[in-house]
Amino acid sequence: MRWGMVIDLDKCTACQACAVACKTENNVPFATPEQSERGHTIFWMDVLTHVRGEYPRPKARFLPRPCMQCDNPPCVQVCPVGATYRRPDGIVAQDYERCIGCKYCMVACPYGARSFNMGRAEEPESFRRYANPDRRVAKRRVGIVEKCTFCFQRVDRAVARARAEGRALQDGEVKTACAQTCTGGAIVFGDLDDPESRVARLAESPRTFRLLDELGTRPKVVYLMEG
Amino acid sequence: MSTVARIERIHEPFLRPLYGTGPGYVLAVAALLALVGLGGYYLVFVQWSQGLEVTGLNASIYWGLYIVNFVFLVGVSAGGIIVAALAHILEFREFKPISRIAELQAIACLILATLFIFASLGAPDRVYHLFLYPRLESPLIWDVIIVMTYLGLAMLMGYLGTRADLVRCMAAFPRRRWLFRLLALGYTDISPAALARERKLLRGLSWVAIPAAVLLHSITAWILGLVKARATWHTSLLGPLFVASAVASGVALVTLGVVLARAFWRLEIREEVVRGLAKVLAFSVPVLGYFLFAELLTVTFGGETKVLEIFGQMVWGQFAPFFWVNLVVGLLLPLFLLVVPPQMSIGWALARAAGALAFAGVMVMIWPWGGGDLAMLLPAWLPEWGGAIQPVWMLGALVLLILILTVVVPSTSIFVRVGTASALIVGGVFLERTNIVVLPQLYRFLVEFYGPGRYVPTWPEVAVTLGIYALGALAFLGLAKVFPLVELPDEGT
Repeated sequence: MRWGMVIDLDKCTACQACAVACKTENNVPFATPEQSERGHTIFWMDVLTHVRGEYPRPKARFLPRPCMQCDNPPCVQVCPVGATYRRPDGIVAQDYERCIGCKYCMVACPYGARSFNMGRAEEPESFRRYANPDRRVAKRRVGIVEKCTFCFQRVDRAVARARAEGRALQDGEVKTACAQTCTGGAIVFGDLDDPESRVARLAESPRTFRLLDELGTRPKVVYLMEG
Repeated sequence: MSTVARIERIHEPFLRPLYGTGPGYVLAVAALLALVGLGGYYLVFVQWSQGLEVTGLNASIYWGLYIVNFVFLVGVSAGGIIVAALAHILEFREFKPISRIAELQAIACLILATLFIFASLGAPDRVYHLFLYPRLESPLIWDVIIVMTYLGLAMLMGYLGTRADLVRCMAAFPRRRWLFRLLALGYTDISPAALARERKLLRGLSWVAIPAAVLLHSITAWILGLVKARATWHTSLLGPLFVASAVASGVALVTLGVVLARAFWRLEIREEVVRGLAKVLAFSVPVLGYFLFAELLTVTFGGETKVLEIFGQMVWGQFAPFFWVNLVVGLLLPLFLLVVPPQMSIGWALARAAGALAFAGVMVMIWPWGGGDLAMLLPAWLPEWGGAIQPVWMLGALVLLILILTVVVPSTSIFVRVGTASALIVGGVFLERTNIVVLPQLYRFLVEFYGPGRYVPTWPEVAVTLGIYALGALAFLGLAKVFPLVELPDEGT
């Protein structure tokens, strides 16, 4: 099992529903306008924008950016206490009890996919009812690093259910929150090791590219070029 | 003549700080204590209760002022032990009396460096995880190991080198006998045979200390240099560059300490000592300049986009003041002070001031050509702290430059000249560290998506930094009261 993701930029409408779904699923802290102004926001999934050219001919490019879930993750390499680790199924996860907040992993991640809990966000009471009760995504404490986990709580639940029922996991049976909500159907999640899976077949497309592939991080998030 | 009286007569010039306490000393201690309290307050009650939110760190830069100071202090510490070890191994007689100041600096600065790491942690209550769950693959763990080893080594060397004098002090200060006995760990033997044994032991330790000092700073460099995610860090030059910076800044700080201790306590320090230190500095500063040149040449010749962008920012952009002040005031000017003999005539002084102004003029002219923004050189009409710092830096540096060229350079006192040069080198290396640590984080990969980062240290961050440094200065003042900073000469008994 090697969990991977394909993001088809041709199908992405930059609606940012993935970023919102991710926040809700994983209890990612919200930020006040002031915190956002100071760059203290946390996004496990962020839709990055790059605008080239001037009016009247500007060209915008959008790039949904989860954690790349590298097969050779620089963050795992540098962590002094083993708080970030690569699971056997390829997911790079973070041990929130272990992390000491040295931020070395953030310095080492070329994608900016890791976030630091700078301070306590004042969360409106009304938000609390919509928090995901799953204990594995309970809100993280101040002073530690958190990141996209490919919604491992969903993955593990689906795997356990399939095992209990004595059958193999079906392709498409488990979806990350971003993939589930994606309005254009741009995000596909699945097992890269299964050659029949949708994600593995899409990853064969001639349009594929991987972000900063030249750094040798071997990302498991594969993009399909637009155009 | 009694033994006590004889020791007092011979050693009086060396023990001066230990007798009596002036009002200046009390004032300095009070001021430093206030600073420590302030820093402690901001660390415990502001940063630890609200989180790193109160610092200038943000989603684009995670290592700021604290890490700059960490890297800087580790370097200074490594430089200190190198001076001490040179005295023991190469029998540099002139360094003998100051080896203790150097060792003290090595120990104190390393402790301060670890305090900076502690301050930068998001979860300081979990710092013991470093010892409970160390991952040996992480350069940070290598650093923990070398810092501990080195600290132990420096303390051992400090103890062995001071022990004999502590025993002598027992005789000179009967009232404080208990203190010296405690510091000497009960040791009392100062027979020639024991002293010879001590020297041999110190020489042996020095053979370990020099590679340890080199390794200490190399590993600190590799914490950054092994990270491929930041262009310009990921170069094999970073280790050697950091070692060269460490030697230059470390020796310079020892020199500055020696010159200041001599000025304030009228400690007996001969000219040869400072002349010897000046020689080491005059060798290490060009090495630093050479590395800088090698790096800049490689970068501009290759023209790799990512690296060029960061160096462009360093030389012509936001951080240009740091770069140019470091180059002109932190490298060239000290070298000039160290190697060119003083000239007294007023004509020379004016010529030098004119030279400095001409240099500034040329800079202003070529600035836009290099892609820099002229507005940065104008006075501080920019509202923000970050923006205001730049022109102030530039103007301040220019004034300093002219002042030094006209006042210090002609001074015939080697103490003034070498002391000033040392202070400038220390400051220059600090600026160099700032550029190396901060800039590659602001102009990261995917910067076209994220946009360039911004970093302005906030007041709590600055207060904590000042507090930690004040703690170091306080320790130095305290220790100067407790035992002789300069090795006592043998009484010939």
